[in-house]
Amino acid sequence: MREPLFRAVKQEGAGPVRQLMAYGTAVLLALAVGAALLAVQGVDPITFYKQMLTMGIPGSRYPWRAVENFVKLFVPLLIVSLALALAFKMRFWNIGGEGQFIMGAFWAGFAAMRLGERLPQPVMVLVMALCGALGGGLYGILAAALKVRFGTNETLLTLMLNYIALYFLQFFAETKAPWNFFLDPGSARPKFAKFPGSAQMILIPVGPFRLNLSLIAALVLCALIFVYLNYTKRGYEIAVVGDSPSTARYAGMKVGRIVIRTVFLSAALIGMAGAFHMSSAGVMSASPTNDVGWTGIVVAWLAKLDTMGILVVSLLITVLQFGCQTASAAYPSIDANFANLLQGVILFTVLAADLFTRFKIVVRGRKEAGK
Amino acid sequence: MKKILALALAMAMGLSLAACGGGDKGGSPAAGPGSGSDGSSSAAPGGDGSGSDSSIKVGAIYITSQNDVAGYTYQHHNGITTAMEALGLDPADLIVVDNVPDTDDTAVANAIDTVVNQGADIVFGISFGYINAMADKAEDYPDVIFSHGTGYMANDTNFNNYFGRIYQARYLAGIAAGMESKRSKNNSIGYVAAYNLDYAETCSGINAFALGAQSVNPDAVVYVNVINTWGNETLERQAAMALFDVYQCCVISQHCDSAQPQQVAQEYGMKGCGYNSDMTEQAPNAHLTAAIWHWNVYYQTAIQAAMDCNGDASKFVENMGGNAYYAGLKEGFVDTSPLNENWDGYSDTKAIMDAVRELIVSGEWDVFSGVKLSYEITDGKVEIIKTDAPLMDDQGNEIVPAGGPSVDDSVIKGSMNYNVAGVIEG
Repeated sequence: MREPLFRAVKQEGAGPVRQLMAYGTAVLLALAVGAALLAVQGVDPITFYKQMLTMGIPGSRYPWRAVENFVKLFVPLLIVSLALALAFKMRFWNIGGEGQFIMGAFWAGFAAMRLGERLPQPVMVLVMALCGALGGGLYGILAAALKVRFGTNETLLTLMLNYIALYFLQFFAETKAPWNFFLDPGSARPKFAKFPGSAQMILIPVGPFRLNLSLIAALVLCALIFVYLNYTKRGYEIAVVGDSPSTARYAGMKVGRIVIRTVFLSAALIGMAGAFHMSSAGVMSASPTNDVGWTGIVVAWLAKLDTMGILVVSLLITVLQFGCQTASAAYPSIDANFANLLQGVILFTVLAADLFTRFKIVVRGRKEAGK
Repeated sequence: MKKILALALAMAMGLSLAACGGGDKGGSPAAGPGSGSDGSSSAAPGGDGSGSDSSIKVGAIYITSQNDVAGYTYQHHNGITTAMEALGLDPADLIVVDNVPDTDDTAVANAIDTVVNQGADIVFGISFGYINAMADKAEDYPDVIFSHGTGYMANDTNFNNYFGRIYQARYLAGIAAGMESKRSKNNSIGYVAAYNLDYAETCSGINAFALGAQSVNPDAVVYVNVINTWGNETLERQAAMALFDVYQCCVISQHCDSAQPQQVAQEYGMKGCGYNSDMTEQAPNAHLTAAIWHWNVYYQTAIQAAMDCNGDASKFVENMGGNAYYAGLKEGFVDTSPLNENWDGYSDTKAIMDAVRELIVSGEWDVFSGVKLSYEITDGKVEIIKTDAPLMDDQGNEIVPAGGPSVDDSVIKGSMNYNVAGVIEG
């Protein structure tokens, strides 16, 4: 066989230190590109990055508010990334985070509007979380069951289900009708009504700061998933099915059942994140996801599906998103697109760094020394 | 080998992801830096200048980018910067969060917190969908002023809403369209509309335009083509083409973001009336006149009122003389762009439009009343003839009896859900 001009050869001995260094270099490189763009537009990159990393918190009027908002962005991203990693570990490409999140949010909102008047707050918040989990989970099972039964492609199916969920929610957002209890009856134009008070997320006051209970829930979930994946039989099954379904079958595992169970868990967690998001917002929205279903894939991937890695990466991505918005507010020439751009560049360089630490490119005709 | 496959798959996922992420932003990242240089050049002089004496800071929440070069956000941003310049404020005292979707309440609330945290004393939100978050935050921050465009919620202290009688300008534009229809002996007039009866804002505009056209040509029929979105250049173009191809219209108007309908009119050798800004530049041969906003008129009034509060935000509504600002031709908040001088109907039309403008400004007459206008021109002098006639909807119901007063403002702003006779939705 003719040797190709270039080929990628797996590189041995790329330890974690080397990999971290490569990632660090990649991020710095991306920031340098960003700095050049900022400088071209007459913005001092150092000041901008400083504001970005501190998220404008020092010296602001209500610093605790900024922290609360940060938590509101961080929690959904963390839970969704963790949940996606569960499915990805099994090589089930769940691209349907957006749709499952929306379904979770929808059913949580449904519960809030129907039961919110009757139930006390702690029960209501729990009911919303469970409704969200069930709504998201069943929506996920749809794709999993079809894959197990008919061998359909889950990437396409979950992707397309996103749009069905999105327009499903939009239908309720825009249809003014007597039966539509989601909307504010007092408004001539369609507009979501606010949830009753008991359907609002529980906030624990810590001085002027109000700690969002969903943060604690997310961190507990993080620990539980870590244990589930690393120290339980079911977690092990996920890894085996991911590596080789035939091996799993040979070892007597019921692959179909494992797939459906895991996808349900993944989608249910995403749905629960949607429910948390709804109760934190206190009102429905027509597009509530803030793109977590997509960003979560990035986070899960950058963290190599590692639970603790996801915690760190989702934190960093949230700092980038939130900080960029805050920092750009003060500059007329910098708009929100800059955050997207910077995120894209970082992702690109980090993926490239990843490639080059794990593989090296060999050019035809040049023999590697030592081999 | 398996690892390489997995890697390739993951890379493909990453790529498709980037594609998805980019898709909904509509390629604006590319437009950002390029147009940004325009934005910064105008802002540069004050950008590094020392802070002005007045301590007021203005916050703004936009639906698309502040670096846009046309469209809704552009109009508002332009209005705010013009007003700030007129008031001698430092451009650096404008704090903007842009690309805030009006379908995500958390994002809106976050954006408001961001501008308030950076010291904004007055926050403008320009999209209707910001309404819940604006109302919440007005309660949350009693020491900050909130002002919501196109909304209807308000309180008695620090929260108002603002909108304009754009229907008055539409009526004037309708006169120009009616003249063109009369001149070309073609009663079909077209209208590309984002929505029709779904929003009072859209159907009141269609109705006013039709009434204006009918005041010149009583036989004129306005065919409305609805695209169900506020802005989509492809749909706007297709809708305009259908109006010419199917309904053989001689002139079209529009209620949508881009100048595509005007450009289509130009390609067909027909005429058009634009919206939002003077679209003569985009369609020099076709464009007659446009119903336009002067947002700076409101923003200047509001920022001045905020400055007069001297730190007590609760006085804002009182300073504004009410919590719902609703101004029209009289205040200069809305108007028509200069009539196209190269158009054959220019002089007569201009005379009529000027006379009607004067009549509306005087407050003696308004569009949705039981009095119809017609005109007689002798030696370039226009005489307006007022005839009592009922205002009828397209189902034959009487909205206003002959000689009756104008429909209530609250209807025009909020609950109008009918078309007047002579409007046909295609």
